[in-house]
Amino acid sequence: MTTTDLNGPDLAALAALTRDYAAFQARKSGLATALGGLMAVVFVIAALSPNFMGAHVLDRLFIEYLVWVPFLWLAVKGLGSRILYRRLGLVKASPDGTYERRRWFWILGLALFLITVLLAGLYAFASGFLQAHQPRAALCPPPMWILLMPFLYLLPMPWAIRGIEEARAYVVLVGQSILWLLPFFIFSFGPPTPPLKTGWGIFGDVMGVSILVLIYVVLIWGALAMVRGWREHREYLAMLRALPREA
Amino acid sequence: MVKNETTPKAILELDRMVHEPARLAILTVLASAEEVAFLFLQRVTGLSKGNLSSHTQKLEAAGYLETVKAFQGRIPVTSFRITEDGRTALRAYHHQLRALLPKEGKP
Repeated sequence: MTTTDLNGPDLAALAALTRDYAAFQARKSGLATALGGLMAVVFVIAALSPNFMGAHVLDRLFIEYLVWVPFLWLAVKGLGSRILYRRLGLVKASPDGTYERRRWFWILGLALFLITVLLAGLYAFASGFLQAHQPRAALCPPPMWILLMPFLYLLPMPWAIRGIEEARAYVVLVGQSILWLLPFFIFSFGPPTPPLKTGWGIFGDVMGVSILVLIYVVLIWGALAMVRGWREHREYLAMLRALPREA
Repeated sequence: MVKNETTPKAILELDRMVHEPARLAILTVLASAEEVAFLFLQRVTGLSKGNLSSHTQKLEAAGYLETVKAFQGRIPVTSFRITEDGRTALRAYHHQLRALLPKEGKP
């Protein structure tokens, strides 16, 4: 195509196309959101499957693999976005202060939650409420892993989470990992007098209902994320088709 | 008939660096993002490689854009950024053109 062939370019359309393409590299996640939703749903179903808590794979507890799901998602997402959404090279989106604030709201929210979990764990040990139970610990993942996981989830957040949808997916996956790690944490380091003996009373009921509600929330979010992610991906493909043919 | 006597002069005062369709398209794309890869710019404007290079060189010489050269592994990657002067020129061009065009419904 030559200069003279470029008659009356639709400038508004050009600008919109550029912003849309840049959005896929800066904010939109497309298939990463769909994958996050799928992983969250599979995670819940796997966690609720019979004998899951005691299920062994290659002599290790299944949960030991599941807690790495958020990192697996981050890795696949990073690779996928490079292969799928950078077909025409990198286009950096113009800074958007409002969007950045919303993104940081999610990141800092999750960071706050993870730091609280870490501090609560440390305080429980310092106060003597929790202590390692060697016989029971043998049944569970190595205690150091359980203690390190919240910290490991924190590390990649600032640079690995680009958009709000991604932040939500990461929050759900990490939240689930922490949720399923908690029973192991309690059994590994349970209080000297296990509360199970006397029962947890109303606290146990509230926790049970909360977990049930959380499971439904995750399942609904997962289903919606799959639909939303797939739709975004189709939008991206349609955008590529709308580009002028190569010269 | 042209009602405004200053209009012919205003037409001549249009920034020709921006007025050329290919360069107008390039600047519009660059103004919509922070940094744009050569490949994307080529595809979105539909220009040939040579033509795009020629126009970006002219725009760079005018101070309207800057070229960013980097490496992705061993592959050299060229990107462009619009400068503040480029943004101002594009905005001024839009204002000038809008002022020159007849209002809607008034031929």
